[in-house]
Parts: sequence; structure tokens; C-alpha cells
Amino acid sequence: MNRRLFTLAAAALAALSWSTEVLAADELRVMVHSSFSLPQPLLAQFEKQNGIRLAIIKGGDAGEMLNKLILTQAQPIADVVFGIDNTLVGKALAAGVLEPMLPQTQDAPDANLGAALAAVDYGFVTLNYDKAAVAKSGMDLPKTLQDLTLPAYKNWLVTPNPATSSTGYSFMLATISAMGEEPAFAWWAKMRGNGLKVVKGWSEAYYTDFARNKGAYPLVVSYATSPAAEVFYSKEKTHESPTASLNLKGGVFRQVEGVGLVKGGGQRATALKFVDFMRSTPVQEALQTAMWMYPMRAKTTRAEVMRYAAEPTEFEAPTAQVVAGKGAQWVARWTKVVLK
Amino acid sequence: MGSTLDQSGAQVTWPSMSSVVLPGWLRRSVWLGLLPATALLVLLIAPLGRLVLAGWAGDVNLPGAATATAWSFWSPWQDDYLRWRVLWSLAQAGITCVLAFALGLPLAWVLARFEFAGRTLVLRLLMLPFVVPTLVAALGVLALWGPHGVLSGWLGINLQNTPWLLLYGNLFFNLCLVVRAGVDALSQVNARQVAAARSLGATPWRAFWRVEWPSIAPWLMSSLCLVFLYCFAGFGLALVLGGQRYATVDVEIYTLVAHELQLGQASVLALWMLLLTGAVALVYAVLEKRLAAPSRVEPVERHTPQGVTQWLAVLAAFGVLFVICGLPILAIVWRALDAGWGTWATVLNTESRAALWNTLRFSALALLLATLLGVLHALAAQRSVLWRAAAFLPFVVSPVTVAFGLLLLYPGWTASLPLLLAAYAVLAYPFVAKSLAAGLDSLPPHLLHAARTLGASLQRTFWRVTLPLLRPALRRGMAFAAATALGEFAVTLFLSRPEWATLTTLIYQRLGHPGASSLDEAMVLACVLMLLALLAFLLIEWPVADRHGSRRSPTSAVSVGALRHA
Amino acid sequence: MLELRHISQNYGARVLLQDINLQVAAGEIVALLGPSGSGKSTLLSIVAGLQQPLKGSVWFDGQDITQLPPERRGFALMFQDFALFPHLNVLDNVAFGLVEQRLPKSDARARATQMLERFGLAEHARHKVWTLSGGEQQRVALARALITSPRALLLDEPFSALDAELRQGLREEFCQHIAAAGMATLLVTHDEAEARAMAARAVRLVAGQLEPVW
Repeated sequence: MNRRLFTLAAAALAALSWSTEVLAADELRVMVHSSFSLPQPLLAQFEKQNGIRLAIIKGGDAGEMLNKLILTQAQPIADVVFGIDNTLVGKALAAGVLEPMLPQTQDAPDANLGAALAAVDYGFVTLNYDKAAVAKSGMDLPKTLQDLTLPAYKNWLVTPNPATSSTGYSFMLATISAMGEEPAFAWWAKMRGNGLKVVKGWSEAYYTDFARNKGAYPLVVSYATSPAAEVFYSKEKTHESPTASLNLKGGVFRQVEGVGLVKGGGQRATALKFVDFMRSTPVQEALQTAMWMYPMRAKTTRAEVMRYAAEPTEFEAPTAQVVAGKGAQWVARWTKVVLK
Repeated sequence: MGSTLDQSGAQVTWPSMSSVVLPGWLRRSVWLGLLPATALLVLLIAPLGRLVLAGWAGDVNLPGAATATAWSFWSPWQDDYLRWRVLWSLAQAGITCVLAFALGLPLAWVLARFEFAGRTLVLRLLMLPFVVPTLVAALGVLALWGPHGVLSGWLGINLQNTPWLLLYGNLFFNLCLVVRAGVDALSQVNARQVAAARSLGATPWRAFWRVEWPSIAPWLMSSLCLVFLYCFAGFGLALVLGGQRYATVDVEIYTLVAHELQLGQASVLALWMLLLTGAVALVYAVLEKRLAAPSRVEPVERHTPQGVTQWLAVLAAFGVLFVICGLPILAIVWRALDAGWGTWATVLNTESRAALWNTLRFSALALLLATLLGVLHALAAQRSVLWRAAAFLPFVVSPVTVAFGLLLLYPGWTASLPLLLAAYAVLAYPFVAKSLAAGLDSLPPHLLHAARTLGASLQRTFWRVTLPLLRPALRRGMAFAAATALGEFAVTLFLSRPEWATLTTLIYQRLGHPGASSLDEAMVLACVLMLLALLAFLLIEWPVADRHGSRRSPTSAVSVGALRHA
Repeated sequence: MLELRHISQNYGARVLLQDINLQVAAGEIVALLGPSGSGKSTLLSIVAGLQQPLKGSVWFDGQDITQLPPERRGFALMFQDFALFPHLNVLDNVAFGLVEQRLPKSDARARATQMLERFGLAEHARHKVWTLSGGEQQRVALARALITSPRALLLDEPFSALDAELRQGLREEFCQHIAAAGMATLLVTHDEAEARAMAARAVRLVAGQLEPVW
């Protein structure tokens, strides 16, 4: 008797699970990175307006996501991709995973992203510091990247590994772009000697090593919008962010993200509508506090909390060709210089 | 054919267990193992093979990739950096094993031989570390021993960038394996044999060494092997707690595959990992088969501790368990409770409820599938060393290679629920298989012969005798499998959809953006996950009411059959 | 009548049984003697149907039952380690075979209770099997076997695990029950005295072949 009950329960559970997973015949597969987030009502509205189901597929970190697209070129697993940024677009184009879009869908192709991607948002990878930790140390903030190599700032910086994190990758590119290849790697070597900590990704750096979260490092490679997020997600209502951006020359990277069509994917018409959707005003307004990026669309109302995230005025933005050509080489060299 | 020794020590040949349980046509291991073999092949071996093929044939277009230096099969040993990685991975796994054994065996002995209040609760709570997501566990450990940790501050030590944090973290996750295995093994020891040894002049220590130890050795070795494999192939924990210097080989593979698409180099590393861990698994399988012996069911009874020394031992056991396994969890719970009612309220919104439902049903389905696979595999592994070693396969193959190999092999099926659940079932079922195999080993074959001659057909014998006798072993295996399914350590590697978000993915999402409330919410969700796991363990291992049991005497301990062990 | 015709069996490369022929009439107890490792237990398992012989056949009442699975032969098998099911209490152990005969559980238990009363073990009905002494356990095993009204009884050194005094009493008890039931009985033992006390006939297994003893 128990056995029968058991098998019945199992069958019911299985049936229940499967029934809710019935894939609609019409669905638009959107490949995104793990930081993608938009309010559900907005997405639902898109689905209703276009009579199609949105199947969002999260592919991990942006670099990982692109690699998954490359690996599955022969049988694409998505129709649209969001999250390829200016550091990855060269690799994407060279691998041929993006389909060039018709000019009408773009008002002005972004110089950084080329014709195959429509820019959706941008952000800045920069250093963040914990105000309390810095105050406690009694020292002034470093004014240049070279300052960080001084003994006074030993064991101050934690960075994600460029090999495994697009955040770390962007930061590395910024240093190389500002200083030049040889001086940059010399700087990294000095940083290694000055107690630089390398971790896998942004979450690890921010939550386990950053001084704000009881770690030992007052400086972390993060985003210009992170201080605003700290206020947004703070426990008590506060008017000052516990962290702030430290924009050093050579330490700020401008990241532009875009959406594009996957070569070999389906649902072309709806896909183009999705591209427009991502650049529409409601989405542009929402993505500020959903994904903590700045909207690309001019004259979008800025969210209230974004005043804690002032945009850096100086930043590095190497061309896609340069990045595509030497990116992998630089990462390998970085690993050798800093880790091995 | 199996054989036992009769009273005079001569060999008596009786048909082996599996030939009695199963009819001829089903007897061959090949048939029984068809389903598990297919699962292993399709979900583990084929993806790995496909990845290796892609790497060596070079059919993936890698624009702008740095021209790889000449890589050969021996590269991991020639390159200094990689050699250090591999050797360190082996070393930290080995050290953890030694520590886990040294701590785990005494703990198991205390839990198995003494009866005291809270004993069952401790056994349940022991399994919680398994469920905690790696990053959350790391946060818990750091809250204690990190730069601003409670304990490190109190003791005035700095463990930053030392391997000790990693070893502590390893023990946190893996000690429970050794302790549980030890408790189960000690419950199988034949009391009469121990009594005989004592009456023949052996001191308690000698009796342990000569009678109990040989009986429990296979179980312990099995769990130590598992601990070794987990630590060696472990991924996230080493990276977070050890930093880059003390990370394991799997991190290299992850970097090579996921970010650099250097499939050739990655597959060489993966194959070496497979060889090394496969060797460990084979050694274990050979030893287990050789040491497998049916035992008479006469458990050593538990008694309340008598005397100061024994009570001290119990307290010491509690202490060690608390420090190693309990504190990090307590740190997480503390942080969650500290978050306040507001956070708990927001966490119970629609998104979290959906995630909770997903966690529940995915884990339940994966558990069902894992149980089925585990039972079949255990039956097939009775006589075959290779099958026993094969049970370790899911621990031995790097999950990174599996995830990406799956992408290459079945792009159309990725981001599909059945594949995800099957993957989880495959990762979880070895616990069921190994627990059952150990149970089957110690099942006296005469019982099944008796059942057959009393009129029970093969299926009836299985349902009426074999399964009830194996029920405790099955439940133990299922509990660990459930913990694995709930913990989802490989979740970040597979493609997923937001509507399939589970508690674990939600936790990682929260930790994906800054803010104190994000951290709080992550902690609260981790608490919910642990509560869920505790509930699952309670359900699975619900002790069967011993209504018909007799008590030897009111004053001594309750006579609880070894096979009805709670 | 139980008949073994030309039974041969190997153990690996070694020849264990060679052209064994034996007949056991209803109600007759035949003792099977022989040194340890001579294949006595193997022969018993072949008769029970747990093993298939290399050559030869097993007949009962004129029917070839060699291909019949153990559960359909109706032979009861008893072991020197009693083989009582530890997860069932004494009553359910005894009732086991009746449940296999499709008897409703309550009826099976009732009959098992009666059986236990016959054996004087009724007070242990709800106890766990390992709380009984060795002699009591073997008697429970006998009760469990007899309640299914077997056609033949196969005993594999059933008293070896018990002390001498106990053996005497049990032997007598067993003989009474066997005589009352009129079953063909094959008793494997290495103790000649025991064989003489219980069996009408004895054969010895030497080098794979049966030799009559008395």
C-alpha cells in the first residue's frame, strides 16, 4: 500500500512539474549574462504586445556566455543575445556568432560596438573604497595608480581575476590602455609584491574581501554605480553611501553593453522588436536600479538613487579591434606576471 | 559463487546473493546496470569525450586566441605552475582526509556507543554542511576566522592567505561524511564477536583493533575516498578560502574552458584529474570488495555514559563538532536573525516562494531518479569491482567539462529541464549506490535463501526481505543524495532560466550586487535552505516506531536493532 | 519421495559432486555425512533449487522439478545460523511462509500463534528474534518451516551452533515433528552420533561421490 502511494505521489509530482514547463511553440530565446535583471511586468508587457513567450537563458559571466554561444554555433541556443560589451564584441564578430542588423534598427551605431550590436547601457569599472576603513587607517586616498605600489598601501587592493571575470578583465584593459603594455605589466608586477589579492569574481571580491563586508581590503575593483547600490540596498534609510568610487587615471574603464541577433537563430522579426524594446524608455529607466548601469538613451530620467553614482569624467575605452587582437595574450601574460 | 566459512572454518559454497535475488537473465551485471550505465555514459562520459575531442581536433573557432605553446599529454607535470596546482590539490585533499579520519573516528565512536539526550538531533544536524552553498559557507567561515572574524580576533591570529582556512572549510563540509559512515559502521559490529574477544583476554583497545576495526574499515575507507575526491576536485571553496595560491586544479580547468576556450589544454588537465581520481576510486573498490563480509545482526548496544571520562568524551565530541561544523552555520543563522523581521518579510515574497517551490520539486524529482539509479547500480555492483569504482564517476569527472561537453553534444537540449534534473540525479545518485552496496555486502545471504524456500519468489523476496533490511542504508544514501540535490554546487555551470531559479541561484543573485540588505537577504535565504534540508532529512530518515520491540531490561539501554538505527 | 539422479556439480575447476544418486522416502530421515568442504551444503542447495546442477536432475513424487524455482518446490531449508528475519518479530517470522501462500495477514498470524503454542514459544511472539536463545531461535526456525506444510525438509547442520544438552532435546523434538508430518528429510551433518540418533539411513560424501554408511 505504501508503495502504491509512493509511486502515485511521484507520478503526480513529475506530471505537475512537466505541465508547467510546456514550451510554447512560439518563444524568443534571449541569452543573457547572470547580472541581467528587469522587472517582470515590463517583460510580461513585451510578451503580451508581441504574442510571444520570452525564454531568458542565463549563461553565466559575460565572457562565459559568449564562449557558450561560440561553442554552439552550429546549433544556436538563442535568438538574441544581451550583454556582449565592447571588450567582447571583437571576439564575437571574429567568431561569427552575431548577425549584422539592418541599419533602420539603429539610430546611430555606437562606435565602440559596431554594426552588429545595438548599445543598451554603459557602465564604468573603477575602484571603490570603504570610507570607514580608509578613515581608520588614517591615510589619504591614493591619487594615482603608481601610489598603490607604495609600501603605505600594501594589502589594500583586491581584484577579480581577468581570466574569470569581466570586471577584472575591464580593469586590466584600462591599466594597459592608460600606461602602455610594458609599463602596465611592470605596475602589475609591483602590485603583486605589494600584497594584491586576486579572487575569482566580483561577488567573492566584494563580499569576502572588501572591507565594507568585514574583509581586509579597503579597495576593491567594482563599478561606479556600486555606491548607489549600497544606498539602495542599505538596511536603514541613509543619505550617504558607505563606499565611494575612486577614479584614478588608468583605473576607470567604460563598458558599453549591447543587444544583438544571434547568427542562425530564429524569430527574426520579434528579435528586432526585442532590440527596440531594450532601447525603449521604460526599460532604460528600469535598468538603472535593476542592473546598475547607466542608460544609453539620451534624456532618460535618471533614478533618484543614481546621484550617489557620479559618472567618472576620465576613462579608458580602447577600440574593439585592439582588444580583440591582444586581449587573450594580455590575460595570459597577466596570469604569468601576477599569479605564476 | 559466494562462500562463507562454517564453524570449522572450511569453505561452504552457497550461491551468491545476486544469483538468488535475481533470475538468470537478469543476473548479469550488464543488464542491471543498463540504466545507470546509460545515464553515466550520456551525461558524464560522452560530454567529457566530446570536449576532449574538440580540444584535440581543434574544431572550435577561436579567434584571437594566443597561440598555445606546445602542449602534450605530459604538460601538467612539466609546467611549474600546473605541477604545483596538481600537487597542492593532492596534498590538501590528503591532509583533509587525515584530519577527518583523526577527528571523525573518535566522534563516530562516541555517537555510536553512547546514548545521551540529543544524540539523534546531532546526527541529523551533521548533514547540514552539505547543503550550504559554497559562497555562503565561505562567508560563515570568514565571519569566524576572517580578518575581522569573531574567533580570529579573540585568539589574536591572522589566518589570511594561509591554507588553514581552506582546510577548516574542507573539514566543515566533509567531516560529516566520515562521522556518519563511522556511526553506521560501528552499528554493524557484531557484539558477540567483541564479547568473545574480550573473554579471550583482549583489552577494550585490543578488541577494537582486532575485531571492530576490520569490520568498520571498509565503510570508513569509502567515506575517506569520497572526502579525498571532494577536496581534490573541489571547486569554489578552495578559491574563496584559499585564494589564488591555494586553489585546486579544477579552477584551472574552469578558467581554460569557460573563459579561454582552450579546450585542448583543459582536456589534458581533465584527463589527468580523471586518471588520478580514478586510481583512487579503483583502489577503494578493490578493497571494499575484498573486505565485504556478511555479518550477523547483533549490534553492540548503546549505553549511557558512565563515569567522568566517558562524559568528558561526549562533551569533547560535542565540542569538536560544534567548532568545526556548527559554528559557521551558527554564524549564518545569527546574521540572518540579525537581519530583522523586515528582511524576513521581503524574502517571503513571490520570487522567493517560487524559488522555494522550484527547490522542492527539483530536489524531489532528482532524488527519485537518483534512488532508482542508485538501487540498480548497487545491485549491479555486487560482484564487479569495475562497477563499484564506476559509482565514483560523478565525483571524478570535473563538472566544468561536463557542463561544456553537454553544450557541445546536445545544444538543442541545453536549457531544458529534463537534462538539468538528470544531471543533478547523476551527481547525487552515487550516495545511494554506495550506501546500498555496503548494505548489500553485509546482508546475510542465508536470509534470502530462507525466504526463497519459504515460498517467496524473487520479487517477493526483494520487497519483503531485502528492501526492509536495506531500508536504513537506503535512507542514509537518500539523505545524502537529497543534500547534494538541494546544495546544487554545480548550479552556476549549467544554463538555466529565471523561472527555474532555486533558492541557491537566488542566493547567488543576491550576492551579485552590493548592499547590506542584499547580504542579509542572502543569509536569510540560506537559512530557509538549511531548514528545508533539515526537514528533508527528518522525513527521509524518520525512525520507524518499534512497537513490537522488547526491552532487555528497564535499566539498561533500549535494545535497538542495528538495522532500525535512527 | 525425493530423488536425486546423476547430480554433478563443479566449483570452479574442481569437481565437487560426481554422479550423485539418492532416494529419500516420505517420512524418512537420511543423514548426509562427510568432511567439511566436501560439497554437502552444495548438494542441499541444489535440492532446494538455489543452484542449478551441472548435470543431473531432481525428482519428487515422479516429477522432474529441476527447473522449478525454489519458491515452488515446497522444500523447507534450515541453517545452522537459524536465518531468522531480524526486521520481523517472532510471530511474523513464523507467519512469513503463510503470507507467501496468499493467506490474509490476520489468518496467517493466528495460525502462527497456534504453531508457537505447540512449540511452547507463545510468550515470545512479539519479541525480536535476537532476544531469544540459540535453541529457541532454532525452534522458531523449525516452526517457520513446518507451518508451510513442506513436502521435504532440508537441514544443514541445524544443531552445530548449539550446546550438547540442547542438541539432545532438540533432536527428539525435531524427530517427533518430522514423524508427525511425514516429510522426506535430508540431514546434513558432520556428527556421526547425531546421524545415528536421528536418521534411519546415512550416506557419506567422499571425493564427490556417495557411499552408503548404514
